[in-house]
Amino acid sequence: MFAPFDLAAGWVQEHLLLPLLYQLGWMRWEDLAFGWALFAVYGAFQVAITFAVCMPLEHWRPVERWPDAKAVTVDVLYTVISRVGILPLLTFVAFYQIQVALNGYLTDHGWVPPTLELLFPSLIGQQMLTFVLYVMILDLSEYWRHRLSHMFGWWYALHSLHHAQRQMTFWSDDRNHLLDEVIGFLWFTAVALLIGIPPMQFPLLVLLLRFLESLSHANVRLSFGWLGERLLISPRFHRAHHGVRGAGRGSRNYGGVLPWWDRLFRTADFSPDYVPTGDPSAPEALATGGYLMQQRAGIGRMARALGKPARPDAKRSA
Amino acid sequence: MRLSLRPRLLLLLTLGAGLLGAGPAAAAGIAFAIDSAAASISVVDMARQMEIRRIPALREPHHLVLSPDGKDLIVGDTVGNQLLFLDPATGDIKRRLTVADPYQLGFSPDRKWLVVNGLARNQVDVYDAATYKLVKRFPLSSMPSHLVYSPDSAMVYVTLQGTDRLAAIDLNTLSVRWNQVVGKTPAGVLWNNGKLLVAAMGTDSLSVVEPADGRVLGRIVTGKGAHNLFHSPDKQIIYVNNRVAGTVVALDAATLKPLRTYAVPGGPDDMDFAPDGRIWITLRFAEKLAVLDPATGAIQTIDVGRSPHGIWLNPKAP
Ligand SMILES: [Zn+2]
Ligand SMILES: [Zn+2]
Repeated sequence: MFAPFDLAAGWVQEHLLLPLLYQLGWMRWEDLAFGWALFAVYGAFQVAITFAVCMPLEHWRPVERWPDAKAVTVDVLYTVISRVGILPLLTFVAFYQIQVALNGYLTDHGWVPPTLELLFPSLIGQQMLTFVLYVMILDLSEYWRHRLSHMFGWWYALHSLHHAQRQMTFWSDDRNHLLDEVIGFLWFTAVALLIGIPPMQFPLLVLLLRFLESLSHANVRLSFGWLGERLLISPRFHRAHHGVRGAGRGSRNYGGVLPWWDRLFRTADFSPDYVPTGDPSAPEALATGGYLMQQRAGIGRMARALGKPARPDAKRSA
Repeated sequence: MRLSLRPRLLLLLTLGAGLLGAGPAAAAGIAFAIDSAAASISVVDMARQMEIRRIPALREPHHLVLSPDGKDLIVGDTVGNQLLFLDPATGDIKRRLTVADPYQLGFSPDRKWLVVNGLARNQVDVYDAATYKLVKRFPLSSMPSHLVYSPDSAMVYVTLQGTDRLAAIDLNTLSVRWNQVVGKTPAGVLWNNGKLLVAAMGTDSLSVVEPADGRVLGRIVTGKGAHNLFHSPDKQIIYVNNRVAGTVVALDAATLKPLRTYAVPGGPDDMDFAPDGRIWITLRFAEKLAVLDPATGAIQTIDVGRSPHGIWLNPKAP
């Protein structure tokens, strides 16, 4: 069932990337290039599916209607960069070296990164179960990364780029500061050193999880019902996180796919409202600026947060 | 489902059977092909030319080698940091051994050593082949990819894909004898008539290298992206896989003159030889094995998993 995507990636590799790498004298990266081709093809399909499902939903029961949706355009760019283009390329090439150096150093000192299956040998052969466990652990780790990014002023200055959007749509999931993405990658690397990286036997499940994350940002009146809300994160649940009261410290609903961690750590908000989104404390450039302007504004806000020891959002906390 | 016959393959098999009626009978036995990006090993019925089973590996296996006593088929799971010991007749996993970053691996002809290249971690590990205990680790920059022994087992030669070099390790003194630039992005390496042949993947040729000191004596043009090379079972012919050109070139092993070029698209990588004279080749980007009849140039393909890399045939398997 993966074959069409894999073959498309193979075609990209064989007919576009390999000749290019050969011309540039970069053949040593051909294996990474194929990894990226697979990622990009699956990413493109992911975007297409998300668009096909979420677009009609947003037309059907929108939470908000805007006279113009100009601010959405930049989110489309974020999505393409993150799911198809530059970011996976950076992850595969630039960070590859960091990972290699780190792993090499650690193995020289006796640390071979384990995997969940080696820590719990009864998992060997249980690929689906293993995958589900990895999803749970990584989702938990993402919960804490996200929660911490709201606690530290300098970190929230970067993350506020994600919150500044007042026209939140299914495109908004990938709207993140580049530096925030780098921190996220290092966070993931650290987790990988402890429990390994998840097996990639199920790319379509990864696709489904990413779809749920996009859907949770959609501008649609959609709740999964009393039980569903407690099993998977719905657009209503994540909207509460993006609400104006969810910006900065003391937010709620930090989870990505599973709402369980918010319940466990008492940050869940299951109230039935569909609140307006945005971060009133963020400079306007973070909300409506172009891509580069937002990146610059994020750095600027971080510099100011680092400059003064006070809490950046103290003025709002009253 | 993955393992069911697709109509196209069915057609191919029907055609193949018709053509084969007049020719030699297909070999019996099973083939093992490693699906590096699917974390599995495909078991292929050689007579019916179809995948019959998949053995789950851990993360990202690449290469495999038969133990000197013929009792174990050893698969290196590079990202999973382990060696899998399979029953070469059935494919059952007998045991697992933790080894850091086993990418390429090979036993010395005198059965004394097992050398394991860690491509990602820039290390070449020399193991005692009897006990699988690490004897010495050589940090070598960078990306050690393929290896070959001298026939007397005194030396092992390792291509360093990232730095365009070939390193010669003296196994008696356990020291690096020389480390020389031999051509852009060296991959496969072969001992032939007292010389080393190195496939320089960043070029269209093989480098002929003097084993005593690493001097480059000449170049043999084979095709863009010269990646890997193998002796025919009678050692009369050398088959060279050209990754970018999508060809397999047959060279006369005595004169190194090209005999014939076969078009093999899809990223030809590793190969093994069936008793009926046909050559089984993994196609990295096509999710297939190619079965090439060197007499006629005819190719049949077999669907396997994502990014097939190492391959080993066991024609005697029931
Ligand atoms: Zn947040
Ligand atoms: Zn969000």
